[in-house]
Amino acid sequence: MLKDFLMLAARSITHRKMRSWLTVIGVFIGITAVVALISIGLGLDQTIKQQVAGIFGVDTFVLVPKGSFGPQNHAGANTEEYALDLQYLKSIPGVKVAAAVRQRTGFVQGPTKGDGPSTQGFLPVMGLSPELMNEFESFTGKIEVQPGGRLFTEADEDVAILGADTSERLGAKVGDTILVAGDDKKELNLAVVGIMQPDDEGKSSDTNRGFSAGMNPGQGKDTIYVPYDTMNLLWGAGNDVLVTLVRTQPGDDVDEVADRAEKALRARGSEVSSITYSDISDAIGTMTSTVSAFLAGIAGIALLVGGVGVMNTMFTSVLERTKEIGVMKAVGARNSHILTIFLIESGLMGLVGGMVGTLLGLGLSLVASKFIGRFFGVHMAIVASPALILITLAGSFSLGAFAGLWPAWRASKLPVVDALRYE
Amino acid sequence: MGYHAEDGANNVLVHSSGEIGMPLLNLNGVTKDYQLGKTVVRALRGLDLHIDKGEIVAIMGPSGSGKSTLMHILGCVDTPTAGEASIEGTQIASLNERQLVALRGRKIGFVFQTFNLMQTLSAQQNVELPMIFQGIKKKERARRAKELLAKVGLADRVDHRPNELSGGERQRVAVARALANDPEILLADEPTGNLDSESGGTILELLKKLREEDGKTVIIVTHDPDATAIADRTIRLRDGRVVEEVLDA
Repeated sequence: MLKDFLMLAARSITHRKMRSWLTVIGVFIGITAVVALISIGLGLDQTIKQQVAGIFGVDTFVLVPKGSFGPQNHAGANTEEYALDLQYLKSIPGVKVAAAVRQRTGFVQGPTKGDGPSTQGFLPVMGLSPELMNEFESFTGKIEVQPGGRLFTEADEDVAILGADTSERLGAKVGDTILVAGDDKKELNLAVVGIMQPDDEGKSSDTNRGFSAGMNPGQGKDTIYVPYDTMNLLWGAGNDVLVTLVRTQPGDDVDEVADRAEKALRARGSEVSSITYSDISDAIGTMTSTVSAFLAGIAGIALLVGGVGVMNTMFTSVLERTKEIGVMKAVGARNSHILTIFLIESGLMGLVGGMVGTLLGLGLSLVASKFIGRFFGVHMAIVASPALILITLAGSFSLGAFAGLWPAWRASKLPVVDALRYE
Repeated sequence: MGYHAEDGANNVLVHSSGEIGMPLLNLNGVTKDYQLGKTVVRALRGLDLHIDKGEIVAIMGPSGSGKSTLMHILGCVDTPTAGEASIEGTQIASLNERQLVALRGRKIGFVFQTFNLMQTLSAQQNVELPMIFQGIKKKERARRAKELLAKVGLADRVDHRPNELSGGERQRVAVARALANDPEILLADEPTGNLDSESGGTILELLKKLREEDGKTVIIVTHDPDATAIADRTIRLRDGRVVEEVLDA
């Protein structure tokens, strides 16, 4: 019987082609907006998370001064300095590799050239763990020195790598010796082992993913890089650590280790916060879902308008077919039959709107992802899961049926006598 | 076709054929009031009417005489304000909406002045419609619809839409539809009112044939003198009452 009702409803829709199409347009605009926004929202969320996951991997977390991470803080604001003993950090169970970055400004003297005076001045000095240069490429980007030089090794002491500009200003080449002075008249003669490859502006976005400020040492052209331990010799235990990258032992839960490390360091007086992938992912999730909810609200208004359109059409249809309803009832249709026929009719219009809307919405999000991909240099995934499509189709049928509920109910309650008399 | 009728609710009626039974339709002192704006319209004012199985009855009367109201009560689409109306002994007033629907679905076939076919459906689908509501299987419906269309002389028009048919053909489709669930009673409201006299004549012949061949009871509300010619009885209404019964023997 339902199949026959479907046929009756479909006939009546196709009989009023123009009006049915206009109604369907009202629905599919709303559905298009919803599908596109959800799909783009999910895609954005997924893409950002993939990017972050690509940086963090499954086993890495970051330690930063307390208060420098979180939605309420801008980068760098309210940052408290913290001191860090890398040896202690490495002794915490579950920690496999730990690498830190700290930065100071120090007095630097270039190599002596013949009898002329050497160049000297105050320059930023950055202490890098050797591991940072080769273990955490996803964070730092590829750190390269110019041919003839090399990066730090773990055995290194009293060495330095110069930023390209610094090298020029100090007149120092690989093999030269420079002097760096720290606190308390501590000073060291450091052998230059490499000159940083100057960044090619154009391709920097490729290597410099995620974190930029302070995280890509290769960018500081006017900086002097020294091994982390050397830095400690010059300035004592660091209370100026910018960031620490930690890799956990395989099999250990990164969140647990991060928690353990954070607590242990705090117990020793280091005001430090740990950031794991799941922290960032949660923060991104909060952000994208807020945006999504806002967009969905707008799309919801469009849907509401579409629903009112269906309702209007159905009321018109009921009025127009009053006599027809009377005849159907006279030949034996029950109220529930009339109700069902009209509900199917409005549901079908919703469904057709849903199908067109889903296709257009997915098309729109494809265009959007191409657009985003071109402007931001990322490949944005489109999320078009069968579940999303099914829910949308079921939802659009329900929307139609729901909008048709009142008109259909009115139709079913029409007294036969009045309906038959209606002209 | 001779027959004897007596006034009274439970009189036993004797057909010429000798069949004994209670009247198929029995109206006793039926009144029907309508609220029309602020005034109450008294459409029927104590109407008595008894119709036997197999009769052809014509109901005539000026507009406003209560013809349509009587038709609706006979067709179980309306219930009386007061008085008794029964079909095969069942009081209409005692039935709820659902039971009324079931009763008219099985017992009564309607033919309207303006045909009232579904424009979106073919002739066959129009005839199938009442069977859909009775939950009859598609195959059986199609078979019966074709059979009925053949019976009304439209075997070659099954797939035509109403707008592809002439007025007379449309009314014949409507008659076929009225017969879909094999009802005992055919109620025709001005069946020839929108037809030329030739097509109208065909319809009346068809109705007569249905009584002759299938023993249908036919009630025709009409202005058409030709309709009274095929009737066993003509009932004239005025002001909601029966004013004249003519036996056309």
